[in-house]
Amino acid sequence: MSVQPMQQTVPRKPTKTPYRQLTQAELEKIAPTRDERLFLVLSIFIGVLSGLLVVSFRIAIEWIKILTLGSAPHAGQLRLLLVPAIAGLFVAALVQLFFQGARGSGVNQTKAALYVYNGYISFKTVIGKFVTSALAIGCGHSLGPEDPSLQIGAGVASMVARRLNLTRQRLRLFAPIGAAAGLAAAFNAPISAILFVIEEVIGQWSAAVLGSIVLSAISSVVVARWFWGSEPIFRIPTVTLRDPRELIAYAILGIVGGFAALVFSKALGYLRPRLRSLPHWTHYVQSGIAGLLVGTIGFFGFAQVMGPGYEVMDQAMHGQFAWKLLLALALLKILATTLSFSSGTPGGMFAPTMFIGAMLGASVGSFEKLFFPHLTGTVGAYALVGIGVLFAGFLRAPLTSVFMVLEVSGNYSIILPVILANMIAYLLSRALQPVPIFEVFTHQDGLELPSMEEAREESELHVEDALHPVDVPVIKGQQTLAEGAQLIAAAKASAFLVSLWDGSWYAMTPHDLTSAGATVTPETPIERILPPERTPVLFPDMPLDSTLHHFPRWPLLPILNRASKGTLEGIVSQDDVLHCYQEH
Amino acid sequence: MAVLQSRSSLTPEERQLRQKLILRDTAALLSLFAIAILLFFVTLFLFHSFSVHRQELAHRWLRRGEKALHSNQPLAAIDALRSALAYAPDDENLQIELAEALAAAGRTEEAVAYFNTLLESRPGNGMINLQLARLAAKEGDEAAALNYYQAALDGTWEGDGYIRRREVRLELAQYLIDRKHFDRARNQLLIAAGNAPDDVNIELTVAGTLENAQDPVNALHLYQKALQHRPPRLEALEGASRAAYALNRFFQAKGYLERTLNHPDFEKQPAEIQAQYRNMLSDADHILLLYPGPELSVRARTERILANRRVAQNRLAECLSSKSTVPPALQKLAGQWQQLPSTLRLMQLEQDPELQQRIMQLVYQTEQITSQQCGSPTGNDALLLKMSQAPEAVEQQ
Repeated sequence: MSVQPMQQTVPRKPTKTPYRQLTQAELEKIAPTRDERLFLVLSIFIGVLSGLLVVSFRIAIEWIKILTLGSAPHAGQLRLLLVPAIAGLFVAALVQLFFQGARGSGVNQTKAALYVYNGYISFKTVIGKFVTSALAIGCGHSLGPEDPSLQIGAGVASMVARRLNLTRQRLRLFAPIGAAAGLAAAFNAPISAILFVIEEVIGQWSAAVLGSIVLSAISSVVVARWFWGSEPIFRIPTVTLRDPRELIAYAILGIVGGFAALVFSKALGYLRPRLRSLPHWTHYVQSGIAGLLVGTIGFFGFAQVMGPGYEVMDQAMHGQFAWKLLLALALLKILATTLSFSSGTPGGMFAPTMFIGAMLGASVGSFEKLFFPHLTGTVGAYALVGIGVLFAGFLRAPLTSVFMVLEVSGNYSIILPVILANMIAYLLSRALQPVPIFEVFTHQDGLELPSMEEAREESELHVEDALHPVDVPVIKGQQTLAEGAQLIAAAKASAFLVSLWDGSWYAMTPHDLTSAGATVTPETPIERILPPERTPVLFPDMPLDSTLHHFPRWPLLPILNRASKGTLEGIVSQDDVLHCYQEH
Repeated sequence: MAVLQSRSSLTPEERQLRQKLILRDTAALLSLFAIAILLFFVTLFLFHSFSVHRQELAHRWLRRGEKALHSNQPLAAIDALRSALAYAPDDENLQIELAEALAAAGRTEEAVAYFNTLLESRPGNGMINLQLARLAAKEGDEAAALNYYQAALDGTWEGDGYIRRREVRLELAQYLIDRKHFDRARNQLLIAAGNAPDDVNIELTVAGTLENAQDPVNALHLYQKALQHRPPRLEALEGASRAAYALNRFFQAKGYLERTLNHPDFEKQPAEIQAQYRNMLSDADHILLLYPGPELSVRARTERILANRRVAQNRLAECLSSKSTVPPALQKLAGQWQQLPSTLRLMQLEQDPELQQRIMQLVYQTEQITSQQCGSPTGNDALLLKMSQAPEAVEQQ
C-alpha cells in the first residue's frame, strides 16, 4: 500500500487546440456556476464509467483465473504452485518498472490523492492497477478486487475532472466520488460503499459531496447490476434470529472475530515493513515467493484460500464445510493474505477480510449447530455476521460493517446480532490494537494522512459549551444615556448588552457608550446613538468556531433562544471561547 | 437579473471565451458519453463470452460429477460437483447431488450440515428430508430418521411426487423392518399398496417387503393380485408359493409351486433356488398325504390319524429315552397319551370323531413339545410339526 510521491501537485496537459487554458479566476468570472452544474452530471458519468470498468475488471480476473489455474483448481495440481509464483514475478516487474502507483490495495492511495495530491490519480496508475491486480488476483494471490476497484473508480473520477478543468477544490472532491462508485460496483451494495468512503476516505459527513457520492455510487451499481443482476456477490441464505439465547453465540463470534482481526493486523504490521526494508532487488521476487507459498497452501489441500474466494464464501454460507475445515481455512487465509499483501502485490484486503469473517462465522455457527442444534440459527447467518465482524474488527469501519450485512442480506431482523457481534469485535480490536491497520500502512509508507477513526470521534464544540449566564448589565434601548451610564458604573462591567425593541441586541463597552454619547444630551435614548448594525444572531447549538470571527467587532456575544425571539440563553466572550478550546 | 448583470459585466473577449468554454465542455461531455458507449460494448462482449463459458463449465463439471457418482467415486464427484456449483450456484439439483456425494463419501458431518442449510431455505423439500433421513439412519439416530422420513413423505416433490412418495414409503418400511418394527412397517406397506396403481412390478415389490415384515397374508393377497396379470410372472408365482407355504396353506402352496416349477423361466433360476422350490413342493405333497383332511373318506382319514399317532408316539418314546430325567412337559405329555386307549381299532376310531380330533391334537402337541425338548425333528415328524402350526389352514384355498 505504498504511495508514491508526485512530481507535481496538479499536472495539466498542454492542449493542442488554440483554446487557451482559462485560469480559475477567469472561470469564476465568466461561468461562476459551471462547476456546480457539471459536478452532478459528471458524478453520473463517473459512476457509469467506474461501473463498466469494475465489471470488466471482475471479468478479467475470472478469465485469468480460468485460463491459468483452470476451471476447478484443486489440491495436487502442479500449476497451483507455478502460476501464482510466475504471475508474482511478472506483476512485481510491472509494478517496479512501469506502474509504481499500482502497488498495494488502493484505499490509502485514494486517501493520499485526496489529502496530498489534490485528487490527482494518473491514467497510468488506473491502467496499472487494473492490469496488475487482475493478474495477481486471477493467478491465485490471496487478495481481493474491491480496493483496486475503489482506486480505479477514484482514478476515473480524477481523469474526468481534469479533462473538464474544474477547480482544485472540486478536483479534490472527485476522488471520493469515484471511490464510492468503484467500491459500490465491486460490492454490488451502494449504501455500504458510500458509508465506507465517508467512514474511511473522507472521515466526515459532508453535505457538499454526499449528493454526488450517492449519485455516482447508484449509477455504478445500476451498471453493475445490469450485468451481474441484483444478487449480491454471494447467495444470501435465510437469515433469522430464532432464539434470544443465540445472542450468546453471536457474542462469542464477536470475540473470536476481534482476536482474529488482531492476529491478522499484527501479522501484516510485522511482515510488511520487514519485506519493504529488504534490498530493492528483492522487491522483484517478493511477490513471486509469496505466490509460491500461497500456491503451496493450495497444492497441499487448501486451494480455497487462493484468489478472492467468493465461491468458497458462498459454499460456507450454505453449510458445505465442517467447522474444523472452516476454521483451518480462516487461519490459512490470514497467512496467505499476509504473504501476498506484505510482498507488495497489488490487490485488496476487503475480500480476504470477508473470507476470513465468513469462515469464522460459519465455523462458529456449524460448531454450535452440531453441539446445540436447537439453539442456533442458520450457518449462513453466522457467516454473514462474521463478515461484518471482521470488517468492524480489522478494517475498523463499524458503521459500514453493520450496513453491509443488512444491505447484502436485505433482512433487518439480524440487526441485533450484527450490532452486538460487530461492536464486541470493534471494541476488542481497538483495545488490543490502538492504531487501525490502514493507518499502520500509512505510517509504514512515511505518510501522515488524517486518522479517520480519530476524525470520526472528534466531538465538535458548540456555542453552548462556552456559554455562561448573563452577568453583564442589560439595558433597554429606550433607556437614556444617563440611566445606562449609571447602571454600568454600578456594575463595574467592562461590557454590556442593549436590548432593542425589535428583539435584536447590541453589545458595547462603557468606552463605546461614552464616545457615542459625546455629541448628544444625557436624556437621549441609547437606541438613538447606536449604529444600524446589530450583534449576530447566534444560538447554543451552533458550532463554536462560528463565533470567533465576530470578536474583533463585538466585546461579547448574546446567545439567543431559537423558540423565543430576543430571549437570551446566555453570553459568550472571546475568553470563554478560547478557554473552551483549551479545555478540549 | 443576476444573470443579466453577469452578462452585461463581461467584456466581448470574455463572452467569446465563455462561448468557447461551453463548446469545450459540451465536446468533453460528448466524448465522455462516446467513451461510456464504447466501454459498454466492450464490457458487454466480455461479459457475454464469459457467461457462455461459465455455463459450459457448469455443464462439463456436472457431467463429470454425475459420472463419478454413478461409478461409485464420491470423492471425485464432490470435487466435480463443487466446481459445477461454482459456475451455477443456484442450481438446486446440483446442490442436492453434491450433498449426496458428500454422504456417499462418508463425510456425513459435512453432508448433514449442507442438507440442513438446504432444508432451511426449502423446509418442505421431500428430497432433502429423505437424504437427511438416510443420513440419520446411517448415524443410528432412529428418532431423527423417522421424523425426516415422515417429513419427506409429507414434503413437496418435483413432478413425480406420488411415485417418489411411494419409494420413500417403501424405504421407510424397509428401515422399520431392519429395526424390527414390523407392525409399523406393515402399516406403511399397506398404505403404499393401497395408493399404488394396478402395476405388477409395484405389487411384487410391496408384496416382497410385506413378506419381510412378517405379513404373509397381505403378501399372498398382493401376489395373487399380481398373478391376475397375463402372462403370470415367475416372481409372483414364487412369492405366492412362499406366502402360502408360510401360512401353512399347503394345498394352495402346492398349486402355486407346481405352476412355478412349470413356468418357462423357472429353469433359468439358480440351482439353489430351483432346489428350494422343489423341496417346498415335496414337503407340501407329503404334508397333504399326512393330513387327515375332511374331504377324505372316513376310512382313509382314520388310517392317516393312526399313522400319525404312531409317528408321534415313536418320537415321544425316543425323546423320553434320550433324557436321564424326564422334564415335566414330557411327563405331562406322556400322561396325556396314557389317558387314551392303549389299543385302537380302525372301526372304533372311525365311529368316534371326537377321539380322532383328540389324537390329532395330541400328535401336534407331541411334535411341538419334543421339538422344544429334543431338538428339530426330521422326516414325517418335521412335516407334522410344520402342519401343527396351523392345521386348519392346510387345505385352505
